[in-house]
Amino acid sequence: MYKLLLIGVSALLLGACARLDHVQIGDLDQTQGNLQPISVKVSQFGIELAAFAEVGRHTASSSAARSQSQQVRDLLALMNMGPRTGNPVYNETYAEKVLEDLYRQCPSGNITGIRSIREARAYTAVSGEIVRIDAFCVQ
Amino acid sequence: MLRLIAVAICLVTLSGCVNLNSMSMTQVPENRSNLISATASDWNFLGFVFDNDFVDEAVSQLKQQCQGGKLQGVLTKHQTTTYFLVFKREVIASGYCNKV
Repeated sequence: MYKLLLIGVSALLLGACARLDHVQIGDLDQTQGNLQPISVKVSQFGIELAAFAEVGRHTASSSAARSQSQQVRDLLALMNMGPRTGNPVYNETYAEKVLEDLYRQCPSGNITGIRSIREARAYTAVSGEIVRIDAFCVQ
Repeated sequence: MLRLIAVAICLVTLSGCVNLNSMSMTQVPENRSNLISATASDWNFLGFVFDNDFVDEAVSQLKQQCQGGKLQGVLTKHQTTTYFLVFKREVIASGYCNKV
């Protein structure tokens, strides 16, 4: 029974929950021709270090180790406090090339109906912080 | 008395609280006579969701309503309504469709 419960919880946690932070729909021009959908998706590994320290606190064998893990957790939580979207990432420039990628998919450059979506795949303390740009290429 | 409390709890929990997650707007056209709108949503339990595909539905609706036209001044609202253990995520979009 305990094993079954563990498998159930693991499946739930490892199934990766989707998170949606921001949606923006742009102008859509359907007067110039057929529209072909194009999409660009970039992601970066996000990590919540304080959550790892919290796990360490729960799994520590001695009270001294638990106390140290708690201090580390508090320190990490303080370092990362403040307004933010999703987990911190180590490369803040990961979404800067999306325009080039869009043009690569639509060489004519006639792009309309741009949707900017900021989302994530969250696996408890780690996540894939995603920027997705969907659009239409005018044929 | 117990029934009254139950009704009060139901009213509080089922009425829902709304979080406005994001909002955006594009340039508004001079001709604003034909306003169209679209709403797409999904429900989840305890925040467990596995995709954000419902957003595409709003775009399809807008595209359908403005066939052969130009959609401008698009106002996009992304909100989450919280009920008891259940969440409703919504994308509400509206804009001005001008046929050329």
